[in-house]
Order: sequence, then C-alpha cells, then structure tokens
Amino acid sequence: MADVLFTNVRIFDGGGDAPFTGDVLVQGNKISRVVKTAFGQRTPPIAGAQVIDGAGAFLMPGMVEAHTHFSWNDQPSLDAIQRMPPEEHILWCAEVAKRYLDMGWTSCVGAAAAKPRLDVVIRNAINDGTIIGPRYLAASQEITVPGGLGDTTQPHLPQHEFAFGAIVSGPHEMRRCVRMFAKYGVDTLKINLSGESITGMPSESSQFTEEEIAVLVDEAKTWGKRVAAHARSTWSIKQCIKHGIEVIYHASFADEEALDLLEQHKFEHFVAPGLAWLINTCHHASQWGLTPEVTRKMGYHRELECAIESMKAMRKRGIRILPGGDYGFAWTPHGTNAKDLEYFVKFVGMSPMEALLSATAWGGPMMRMGKVLGYIREGYLADILLVDGDPLADITVLQDKSRILAVMKDGEFHRAPPLRAAARTSSATRWAA
Amino acid sequence: MANTLFTNVRILDGSGSHPVPGSVLVQGNRIKAVGRGNAAVSTAGAIVIDGAGATLMPGMCEAHTHFSWNDAATLAGIQTMPLEEHVLWCAKVAKRYLEAGFTSCVGAACAKPRLDVVIRNAIDAGQIPGPRYLAASQEITVPGALGDETLPHLPFPEFSFGVNVNGVDDMRKAVRMFLKYGVDSIKLNLSGDNFTPQSPADTAWMTDAEVAAAMEEVRMRGKRGTAHARSAASVKQALRHGIEVIYHASYTDAETLDMLEEARDRVFVAPGIAILYAMLHEAEPWGITHEKAVQMGYQHEWDHAVESLKAMHRRGVRILFGGDYGFAMTPHCQNARDLEFFVKYLGFTPGEAIRCATQYGGQIMMKPGELGLIKEGFLADLLLVDGDPMANLGVLRDPKRLLAVMKDGVFAKQPEVAAERAWGRAA
Repeated sequence: MADVLFTNVRIFDGGGDAPFTGDVLVQGNKISRVVKTAFGQRTPPIAGAQVIDGAGAFLMPGMVEAHTHFSWNDQPSLDAIQRMPPEEHILWCAEVAKRYLDMGWTSCVGAAAAKPRLDVVIRNAINDGTIIGPRYLAASQEITVPGGLGDTTQPHLPQHEFAFGAIVSGPHEMRRCVRMFAKYGVDTLKINLSGESITGMPSESSQFTEEEIAVLVDEAKTWGKRVAAHARSTWSIKQCIKHGIEVIYHASFADEEALDLLEQHKFEHFVAPGLAWLINTCHHASQWGLTPEVTRKMGYHRELECAIESMKAMRKRGIRILPGGDYGFAWTPHGTNAKDLEYFVKFVGMSPMEALLSATAWGGPMMRMGKVLGYIREGYLADILLVDGDPLADITVLQDKSRILAVMKDGEFHRAPPLRAAARTSSATRWAA
Repeated sequence: MANTLFTNVRILDGSGSHPVPGSVLVQGNRIKAVGRGNAAVSTAGAIVIDGAGATLMPGMCEAHTHFSWNDAATLAGIQTMPLEEHVLWCAKVAKRYLEAGFTSCVGAACAKPRLDVVIRNAIDAGQIPGPRYLAASQEITVPGALGDETLPHLPFPEFSFGVNVNGVDDMRKAVRMFLKYGVDSIKLNLSGDNFTPQSPADTAWMTDAEVAAAMEEVRMRGKRGTAHARSAASVKQALRHGIEVIYHASYTDAETLDMLEEARDRVFVAPGIAILYAMLHEAEPWGITHEKAVQMGYQHEWDHAVESLKAMHRRGVRILFGGDYGFAMTPHCQNARDLEFFVKYLGFTPGEAIRCATQYGGQIMMKPGELGLIKEGFLADLLLVDGDPMANLGVLRDPKRLLAVMKDGVFAKQPEVAAERAWGRAA
C-alpha cells in the first residue's frame, strides 16, 4: 500500500468548521497528518508517497449510509425481491456493494437482508477481499409477525421461503429466531415494530407484544448484537426507547412524549428516517401504478407530512438524524442515496453543513467506530472522498458520480483520481520500454 | 468499443504452425485483418499496441472446468461450502481463469445444481468478468458411485456432491431438472474414480437404459452429453450413446480405440491427466503419499492412460487440455500445465499441444468457424505473451509473462504502459 499525500485540497474534516486549504497525508490505512497551507502553495514531497494535487478540490470523510439493503433489487415489490433465486441474489448484492463504494459510501449499515445469510456473506466477502464494497455491518432478515410487514407468504403458499421476513409468534419462537441469526453471524437484529402502509398494514399501527420485544432485546444483549427497528408508529418509537433499541428507522409519527423521550436519551439512539421512500412513493412511482391518488389513499402523503414535522422537531432537539434508507426499490434505485442529504436540507431544515455531518461525524458512531471513523483527523482511518465542487454550497454534487473524483477506503483507492489530461494524449502504448 | 492494432508481434495462429511476425487489427469483437511481415494494416482510429516482438496467440480454451471446486482436498470439503459463499467463489474463479488466459471454458460439472448456469448467465450479462462458458449440470451418478457423498445416516440429497439416480425414471427426472435450469451439457459419471475407493477407475456403473434415457432428453433439447469415463467399458458406453465429450478415457482396448477413431470427427477427449500426476507425486501434504496413491491405483491408471492417449493421438482423435483443476493438489489456474504434460508424456509437439488449446478449443466451444484461431473474421480472443510458447510452454502459466488478455475484443488484462507515469492531478 503506497502512502498518499493529498495537496492543495479544501479539507472538510467532519468537525463542523468551515473547510480550509491544506494537505492530508495517508500512511498505511490511516490519516497521519493534516495541515493547513495557503492555496497553491507547493508542499515538499514526502519520500515514497504518491502526491495527488487536488487543485482545490473538496476533500471530505467517506460517507456512511445508515439504512442499507444490498439485497433489495431495484424492483417494485417485496415479492419481486423474494423471487430472485439465492445464487443470483448473492451476485446482485456483490454488484450493489461495489456501486455504493463507487458513489462515495465507504461505510454502510445493513438494515435487513431478503434471505437469511445474504448480508453476513457479503460482509465477510468484503472483509476477506473476495468482493469490493464498503465497510459493512450485516443485518438479519426483518423479524416480523404473521400478517405483519415482511410476511409475504400466502394462504396457499405458506412455506417460509416465500416470506421476505422471518416470521415469529411468541417469545419462544422469537428467541429461536434471534439465536439462528446470531449463529449466522449478523451484527444487527432487525425487528419490524410497526406496519407499512403499502403492505396493507398501516404505518401507524404496531405489532409484537412487549414480551416478544423484551426477549429479542435480551437475547441480542447476550450475543452482543445491536437491535434496529422499523418503527413508524408512535407506539413503536416509544418501545424503542423503552427497550433501548439503538437504531430507530423511520420514526414518522413521533408525538410530544416520544420526542421528549428521544431527547432525554439522544446519545443512545440513531434515527434514520429514510425520507426517500416516502417522497418517491408519494410523487415518483406512478410508472409502477402508484399514482399520487393511490398513495394518498394508502396514507403516504399524510405520513410524509408527519415525518417531516417529526424530523424538524428532532433536529431542533439535537437528536442524531442520519441519511439512508430504503434505497433499492424501483423508484429509489441503489446509488442515488445522496439524495437524502438534499432532502435533509430541503425539507428538514438542515444546513448543508449539518447534512454533511449527518453522513460523516455521526456515521462513525453509527458504524460503532466513533473514535476512528468519520473525520479527517490524524489517527483516523483513511476513508476519504475527493469532490469536484463544494457540497456546502450545493449538496447535490454528491449525487453525481463524475463529481466524486476519488474514493479511498482504508487507505486504498477504490477509484483513483483521473490523471491530468496531458498525460493521456498518446494513443500508442508499449509494454516494453 | 475502440479498435485495437497489435503491431510488431509474432503471430501464433493456433493451427499448430510456427509463429510469423506481423500485425493484427481488431475491430469491434472480431479480428479484422492479419498482416504478415511488414504488410501494412490500416491503423485508422485504433489504439496501437506495439508488441515489441511478443507472441500473439488465440485465447486458450479449458475443456474440463469446475469453477465450483474450491481447492479443497476432498469432495466433502467442496460440498460443505454454503451456497452463497459458493457462488462468490465461482465468480472469483471465473475472473481468475480469464486473467490467466483462458478466454473459453467448458464446464464439466458443478457442485450444486445451479452454480454453473448462474455464473454463465452473469458472465454473459456483463455482471461479472469471466471466460466464454458452457454451463454443466452436477455430476449425475448412481448410489455408491463417484459423486454419491451421502452417508448411511445422512441420506439427504443436499449432502451429495452429485445427483443420485436409480433407474430410467429417476434419470429422466434429473436430466429434465437440469435442462430446465438451462445447462449446456449433462454430465454422467459412467465410470468410477480412484479418488473414491468404493468405486475405482476401471469400473462402470450405469445401465444402458439409464444412459439412453438421459441422452434422449439431451437430444430433444439440442444439448450435449458429457461423460466421466475412465474405464474401457464406460468409454464404449459413451460412444454407443452419442456422448460428445469424453473425460479421462484412461483405459482403452483395441475395440475402444477403433470406436474412438471412427467417431473422431464428433467426439472430444479431455483426459485431465494432471490430477493423476498430482495424486501420484504431489499430494503428500494432504495425506496421500506416493505409496498410498499407488495403492489407490493411480500408477496403474497413469501407465494405461499414457498408452491410451498416445494411441488416440496417433489415430487423430482430438485430445484437449484441462481437467480437474480446483483440488488442493491441482489448484485453479495452473491448468496450462496440461500442455507441458502432453509434450513430455504423450509425445505431442508443442504446436500440437497449443492446437489443443486453441483450434480444438473453438470446436469444443461449438464455434469451429469463428473461435480458436488468429484469422480474419474470427472472434478477438487473444493473448499477448512475453516469450515463445513453442519453445517453452511454461510461459503460459506465468502471470507475469501473460502481458495482455483480450476476450471478445475487450481487454480483460491490459498491456502495461511502459512510459513512466507522471502522477497527475485531479482537474
């Protein structure tokens, strides 16, 4: 692994200060030096280090996606995801993992897989170099109840292989299910505590008994696993806080009590609303039969309004809101995830700075790597993006692959910056000097 | 797709003849022009690769490939890999084959029902890099024979390396299942194998009625039958039933050789002798000493195989290289070693050995008029090799000597740019 010196870059270090011009030295897989310089100032070369003259480009920490489903296959329904055979499915996941890294997401938090082992296998394959992808925390399938979100079996097709989620009923089955996923090696257990309007069970309704939830949390603790919940309804949000479920996905219908509870425990929880799903289901899914009339009837327009209000309120109270969520459907294709940052600015009232911090500074602890990830600081892991443009002026540049000049993960370029045009003029190449 | 012109190369055209200097123009995915000597070839709009005297030859074809063998020392070691890991393993191996110069591979059986088909489809769809590939079924076998890895107390089909059939109806059902999955070929284990002592190499296991049922289904869908056939009886059975690809063919008698010669325009023999050699001489780290291998029958088989293959070669039977790489003692991507064995032990000339991998390769890939030669109009599967394979076949399994690999007009391995690379800047 060659050392790399980025010179002449505008450094956004993840600390919340305005970016400054300077140099960043990467040695091995770590950032070993960050210094301020004057623009255009030449830096003495460092022996053995490859020098990247950024020419004023924006250098920032790699982004963290807080709610990732590699195994969602850009299809319009849960059933269409589930019909993909496991062999094709694992290749799909591998392809998508690379796509995330391509788009600057150097870390992703798995939020549920469509088949029991997909997430675990992909995480392991990334870690041992079999495939290319971001740092990854592997999730279980969605754990749900008969008839709940994720139960895609049918009366005449009751086989559990038809089900998108893992279906349990009662504390005994819950314990068995958690143990199975723990055996497989997941990092996170995902439980569906609320409904989801598109599946017929409204988002404002809830499922599971407190006893079942307690068993899951207890068993997860035993194995040292994290719990994440699909929690749109008011009751389900409160259950997360009550049971110490660390990761709260959606949290659309937070009432005053829920907000107060969250605020009291704000450093024990992460909230990833996944606004993209609501926005695009409401407004950009007509092509798949989900016209605004249909989705209004389903209740999504009301939910979107409530979710925006909830997020605004959470932001004001300093609750950590993170980007990501439910990309991987036909109308929220994988790779467009940086739209979440735009939505945070546009709808939640975040400044571009806050939106960037939600993807970086808060991403480190979300990955459980808070002391080593998410900042451009000496001693931190070298997950670095080089961006053509200023995301603080225009947050949408992060949606454009061609503007993300370089992606470095763990000190190695996944995508090296393009060579200066002059170096590419010769069309003849020789293999022997 | 940019056009590519290779200049200043020694063209080894794959027909078995000696290399000649010249240049080759690739347009799209085909060879547009071959210029001998200093004959001018239009460079219009092409990226020029100055070969500086390197050898340009057709991409090699591996005739007996098992992407899903995972470099384990036993069949059980292959079978205990879970499905998801197994698919990713196959994808990784496919890429390695291509980068090692095998631009075509003939699948010869996979370890789980759909592995080969899924990998072929993913390669064809551009989802993963890999060679041109013909997808095989699992090995179809009978209880107790090679590939039946079930145990008395673990009789489950998922536990088995091959698919066990018993009788004509079972056979038809198994073949139809694989045809439904989309295989290009159905693999039948007609003989045993010394790897599995309960069913040694010089035995035969299937009834003619079972083989006939399989081949009837295969023909109905226009697919190909292939056979694991080490014993003379099994080779004859394969020939009787019109099986096109015969793997191993170690034991032959006069009748078998006559039948093979008679069928030489339609059958291919891929002996896969590397595994015999490796078991005899290189398997000690995995507990198989030379003495043990001899005891298992490997020396006996090796001696017979060498004689059989020499006789087949004399009679003009097409012998192809590859086979049973993917075990601990025959790791993937060392496959070109077969060519050295052909010269050293079977009396092939280097030109004949190369023809096995190129011209015959195009034929076994079912593309005889367009694959396997450097010839105008042929598909652009090309290798740029530092050295002369005719003088030293060993260069073909040295990644450093393989300067470039092109498949279907696109570089799978780019020739290096020698000009010192100025470190640039992000504009």
